[in-house]
Amino acid sequence: MAKRIVIIAESSAATVSPVTYELVTLAAAIDPAFVEIVALGTDSGEAAREIAVHTGMPVTAVVTSAGYTPELWKDLVFRIIQGRNPDLTITAHTACGQDFAPGLAARLGIPCITAVESCSRADDELTFTRSILNGKALMDITPGATPCLITVMPGAFAAYGSTSPTQGEITLIASDSLPSRVVPSGMTQPGEEDTVPITEAEVVVSAGRGIGKPENLELIAQLAARFNRSAVGCSRPLCDQGWLPYRQQVGLTGATVSPKLYIACGISGSPQHVAGMRDSQLIIAINKDPHAAIFQVADYCVIADVVEFIPILLEELDNQ
Amino acid sequence: MKILVSVKQVPDMEAPVTIDARGRWTGPALSFRMNRFDEYALEEALLIKEACHDVTIDAVSVGPARVQSVVVRAMEMGADTGVHIEIGREGYVPPEVIAAHIHGYAREQDYELIICGAMSEDCMHAQVGPLLAELMGVPSLTAVISAHMREDGSTLDIEQEIEGGLRRRFVLVLPALISVQTGINHPRYPTLTNVLRAKRQAVRRIMAHDIPPRTRFSFREAPEAKQGVLIRGSIREQAKEMLRVLHEHAIL
Repeated sequence: MAKRIVIIAESSAATVSPVTYELVTLAAAIDPAFVEIVALGTDSGEAAREIAVHTGMPVTAVVTSAGYTPELWKDLVFRIIQGRNPDLTITAHTACGQDFAPGLAARLGIPCITAVESCSRADDELTFTRSILNGKALMDITPGATPCLITVMPGAFAAYGSTSPTQGEITLIASDSLPSRVVPSGMTQPGEEDTVPITEAEVVVSAGRGIGKPENLELIAQLAARFNRSAVGCSRPLCDQGWLPYRQQVGLTGATVSPKLYIACGISGSPQHVAGMRDSQLIIAINKDPHAAIFQVADYCVIADVVEFIPILLEELDNQ
Repeated sequence: MKILVSVKQVPDMEAPVTIDARGRWTGPALSFRMNRFDEYALEEALLIKEACHDVTIDAVSVGPARVQSVVVRAMEMGADTGVHIEIGREGYVPPEVIAAHIHGYAREQDYELIICGAMSEDCMHAQVGPLLAELMGVPSLTAVISAHMREDGSTLDIEQEIEGGLRRRFVLVLPALISVQTGINHPRYPTLTNVLRAKRQAVRRIMAHDIPPRTRFSFREAPEAKQGVLIRGSIREQAKEMLRVLHEHAIL
């Protein structure tokens, strides 16, 4: 049976976020004939044009007079979904998606499945798979005949590659902003960088909880210093402890990097971290836990205590 | 002002832990603790209590008998009262069911502010906060990395963490719900006074009625490390092999 799908695109200003095209890949694999894409925001008209040209699919742009708030997005998407009754609504598991999608699902009275990494189909039923326990176990969720809303992990699907010979139809809807108890009041930029920005580094040496104590960051810095155009990165817990600034965090809520070499030192490899580094060209992971999820994305796996391993590695580098 | 903080008990993932087909945690040395995100949620409530007058904090947790220990822990950290919504069986509880149980309790109270952790470390749905807000009919913001209560106690100035270290700012009028990111503050340790108080004070127990989930779910182990090459040997042999790999890839 055909599945009607609505994708809620993500864009910032007039730029379509790459994850939007990853959502299109998933939707096209399920049922390309019944996909509609919805873009929201003050510049959604431009975003809609880009999406319609690239995918050839119909796009509805809801042009807002105010910027993002979860209340506004829930109100606007609710009206669209109600009128169309799709079997599946797809959005990204980004800060924005996580912010409005669960409440929207509750308002629609449908289940919400978050951080989806893959999808399978059997007997006309869709099953969505997501990680739990830092990626050590998987959870399969089947909504059955019920419509549902899913948020998809960035990087889980390749970007929609095929370009369409014809442009998809664009519908523009103007929306008035509603009085709300949440009012946007601008953006705060991250602090200034003093070294090679982590996103431009060719080698990223990243530390995780496995380094034990902040003094051991010196080992990470020494190892990074042996490579040209290198930067020190980390997983989120280290920023939370105040050991490193948030601008050095790699992962879903931090930077997305794709260096020539990524060395993960004492990082467990939660899906949140992996989403920010899986596209690195060469990944070497050092962890004393042989079951650490980071080993599932690593090209080379070193099972060792990183605090013991790096000094020996530095010695061997000196011997060369 | 009454603040509700939702806390979840999660398995300690430093020890090997897995989940069986029925969604029960298993492991040879299984132990439980408070979800880290919720420690930050509770600390944020405590900071508001210290900054404003006349604030009481209730901590609530949903789960089997064992989760009462995190409610006690929340009281030891400084929550005024603890509420345990007890589910009479072990096993996975979906976020929509947790949110419905908390809503069943909270709708009869007058909470000006509900604070949740952004997600749980074990299942990482990041849903209970925004679902609960929608059920309560209050606005919510997630991934909150800074919250400042204005003097009259009616409004929060919020910074929400988005991708790439950027922050979106909002003004949020209470009643409302926020779910907080780790790093928003530095969670405190229990004080002796609060530990003794928590010992004397009973946790309010509410038996949960059955709420059937709307989806079918099952669990399995993640497939073993796929194509990654294992570097074997002593630490020195591993180090030498790693350098050989870097030469092979023309990085050194």
